[in-house]
Amino acid sequence: MRRTLGLLLPSLLLVLYGCSGGSNGGGTTGGVESGASTGGDPPDGEVRPTSALCPSTELPRTPLRRLTRFEYANSVRDLLNVDPSPALELPADEVTNSFDNNARVLTVSSLHAEKYVLVSETLADTAVQNLAALTACDSAARGEDACALEFAQAFGRKAFRRPTTPEDEALLMSAYTAGRTDGSYAEGIEVMIRAALQSPRFLYRLELAPPADAGQALIPLDQFELATRLSYLIWASGPDDALLDAAARGELSTRDAVAAKAREMLGDSKARVAVANFFRQWTSATRLETAGKDTALFPEFSSELRDAMARELPAFVDYVLWAGDRMLGTLLTAPVAFVSGPLAELYGVAAPPGSESTPALVNLPENQGRAGILTQAGFLSVQGHPDQTSPVLRGKFVRSMLLCQPPPPPPADVDISVPDIDQGGTARERFSAHLTAGASCNTCHSLMDPIGLAFEHFDAMGRFRETDDGRALDVSGEIFEASDPTLAGPFIGVRELAEKLADSEQVRACVATQWFRFASGRSEAAADACSLGTLQDGFAASGGDLTELVVAMTQTDAFWYRSL
Amino acid sequence: MNPLRFTRRNLLRGTLAATAVVPWLEARQVRATAAPIRRFVVFTMPNGTRNSMFWPTGSETSFTLQPLTAPLEPFKSKLTFLRGIRLNDSLQNGALGGTLGSEHARGTGGMLTARPLNSGTEFVSFGNTTSGWGSGQSIDQYLADRLTPPTTFKSLQLGVHVRDTEVRARISYSASNQPVPPREDPQDVFSALFGGATSTPDAPNPELERLWAQRKSVFDLTNAETERVMQLVGAEDRGKLEAHLNSMRDIEQRLVGATGTGTGTGTGTGTCATPTMTNVDLAVDDQYAQAGQLQMDLAAAALACDQTRILTFQWSYAESEHLFQFLGLSGNHHAISHDFASSGANYEAYNAIQSWYAEQLAYFLAKLDSYQEGDATVLDNTVLLWATEIGESTSHDLMLMPYVLAGGAGGKIRAGRFIDYGNSPKDNNQLLVSIAHAMGADDLTAFGDDSGATGPLPDLA
Repeated sequence: MRRTLGLLLPSLLLVLYGCSGGSNGGGTTGGVESGASTGGDPPDGEVRPTSALCPSTELPRTPLRRLTRFEYANSVRDLLNVDPSPALELPADEVTNSFDNNARVLTVSSLHAEKYVLVSETLADTAVQNLAALTACDSAARGEDACALEFAQAFGRKAFRRPTTPEDEALLMSAYTAGRTDGSYAEGIEVMIRAALQSPRFLYRLELAPPADAGQALIPLDQFELATRLSYLIWASGPDDALLDAAARGELSTRDAVAAKAREMLGDSKARVAVANFFRQWTSATRLETAGKDTALFPEFSSELRDAMARELPAFVDYVLWAGDRMLGTLLTAPVAFVSGPLAELYGVAAPPGSESTPALVNLPENQGRAGILTQAGFLSVQGHPDQTSPVLRGKFVRSMLLCQPPPPPPADVDISVPDIDQGGTARERFSAHLTAGASCNTCHSLMDPIGLAFEHFDAMGRFRETDDGRALDVSGEIFEASDPTLAGPFIGVRELAEKLADSEQVRACVATQWFRFASGRSEAAADACSLGTLQDGFAASGGDLTELVVAMTQTDAFWYRSL
Repeated sequence: MNPLRFTRRNLLRGTLAATAVVPWLEARQVRATAAPIRRFVVFTMPNGTRNSMFWPTGSETSFTLQPLTAPLEPFKSKLTFLRGIRLNDSLQNGALGGTLGSEHARGTGGMLTARPLNSGTEFVSFGNTTSGWGSGQSIDQYLADRLTPPTTFKSLQLGVHVRDTEVRARISYSASNQPVPPREDPQDVFSALFGGATSTPDAPNPELERLWAQRKSVFDLTNAETERVMQLVGAEDRGKLEAHLNSMRDIEQRLVGATGTGTGTGTGTGTCATPTMTNVDLAVDDQYAQAGQLQMDLAAAALACDQTRILTFQWSYAESEHLFQFLGLSGNHHAISHDFASSGANYEAYNAIQSWYAEQLAYFLAKLDSYQEGDATVLDNTVLLWATEIGESTSHDLMLMPYVLAGGAGGKIRAGRFIDYGNSPKDNNQLLVSIAHAMGADDLTAFGDDSGATGPLPDLA
């Protein structure tokens, strides 16, 4: 039977502490220890959690994951040391539940196929312009074929994320021959690169290590598969040589070892880009690129302003995660902004020197009541209509993405129109029909609107305003039906809302759930209870440390196993 | 969009070497056609309609167009209004799969599949699910597979400002959970269709031919590898890799220098010529019309040049909030489409937008009608479905879909009619079966979800 998230989450909140509580001292990652690399029983000295939820006895099917466009670009950047921008010719990935990496729907259409071929050609062409950077082998001294084979092995290992087999090498050498025949050595290497980039072993994250027996529900990953999961989790790219070496030495065989490796990898600048991608998608900042505003109402909404908005979130995430205290609470409440270009003016602050194109840290005016990501102009622009604010969308974001209680869809035969802005009045007045039109609207909208109306001091592109349509604004709000009792009760404005959210266990658990969906490229299911519990527990135990959330994923059964 | 880089090598290798069409056009133009080449086009716009101003008045063969379709007056004799088609039960509120997804989403995913959206845990809420992705193959992809037209592109998906990548933005599916994305950048479409470098016996291009040979080798190697990997994965992943393989095989011929052997002609007032391209900024709502016109020019050329016979053309996404400031309107399309008042600014604005879309269709039909094929035109040999994801926009109705066919499918459809099924509504499954029959898949008896009726629409031919 399908359990809805609304039911699953609160029950998890109650029991998650039992998930690993009996088996560890409350370490920062939840400390679920179990040797899983070989499957079967844990090695001596390691203890599996014993609660009702853990260990997992089964997992939902783990679908084959195609690289997203973002992962493809990062992977070729690291493989070939080239500018990966030709990868932007690949079609944008389909979005499911805010995230563009849901494996179920990431398939290869004819358009993808065409672009995989053409993009690989552009990239390989660029890469072999600097052959010496790709391979140090001296083909004049050692012979072209020997150097080609050496390249096939070294490059193939990185491209396919495991040591090459004789079959892999034969494939790559055949491609080399196709280029070398009537062409140069470099052209042979070029065609080899194309073949690698068009291979299913590159385009998909294959996990093929066989189960110990046919009926095994949880199939353990081998070292290279673990290295690959780790690498795409933290870098959104393939493993580097060092990580592959570690896998070859069997160093990824305990959860402690993997946690340590994960922390080490978080120190690499590649992690910043990758982790920021989660926050961009979680907040739908990716939609900013195509967000339009009625330029008669919002003449300032230029492409320069939009670009400046888009630059802010990654800069802010950098600030919190890599320069600050890493806390979810800070992400939700810090009254600072990163301004570049025309964004300073929108926030009503002086543009710091050097902020023409590079986002610079500024403190926001106290009287605006801004708070972290929830009042960033990019967020407020995306969570709105082209011509007016949307208390519904803003409330829905909080409800779905921070509380994990998505409101039900509107009932049939209900007018779900946005009020005509020409009718005047404040949004609270216009949207009041939702809350007075009888139970059918009220049931659902009482979950969203009273949250979203607290944002009304910010217009449809995130500019502060004292009034709407000449009238004073009432930004009082309330969160109804939250599972976490500390969220109950009225509040005023986004700042107070953010402070409530920042202290809430429900919000922490929900953010962990969002990270789970993103990290595993699929939706959670009942069989993920142990994994979700481990993740939520680890995040809670760290006090809401967002980098520890990244690490905690490596401690879950969902990370260590696959399921057919 | 990153700019194309016109280096010498990229001219050969990149997108621009995708196909080789233009030199063959001369030959095609003089070739006589025995049987007409039939084409299928889907032309969609978002946010439903207003029935009272959409449907003609009058009888089956003598009728008057109403304001929302008035721009189509020049093609009245080539249109077939189909009043009385509903989405089947599985897509209706409260029935079967009818709780899966909003009406906008269902109407989009079900338009060409006649199937409900998948259930799934992707979108979970308090005890009421919304949906996953489409649950089966759409009729355009079915026909592409079934008829395997000898064209360079088995099918072509074009969009204008679709932008969205969610379920409400995908009408075409190769299989369950396998949406087919449209091409939205006219420059990219141009490159694919009319891509420059060629090599012919008269004007050989050895470097290009070497590239084609290399591509062939790489296709052979990687396709064989995909087949090997397919043996090592579970059933569902095997399906995904099979789709991958099909896609690779689909594009292989045109990337190794073999154009289709389609025999379309392009004589007459229109010619099968390369459209003139201008630059548009795809991020700017106000350049919607310009982007759309380029895509329509390319689509018409692709059909007339027999580069494809199956084409979907999608304006924006379902539930679109596109702006129409270029029509002097404020407010977004979706908000406007819900105005209940029977007069006032939004009432007029909605009419203006819907009429504008009808004008776009008229432009496209004029293009198709300008290509002569024997005694007929390309439009005469086409069955074009003009559709939107919902019916009456204010109520999200899915019981009375504003469907219109254009063209005669080479004599398979008796056009110039206003067919009103009245008290005997038909399911959209039947429409899709009729389209399949018009395209030559005569033995298809049913398409889509079992809750819909089988067989074709009556009285179309």
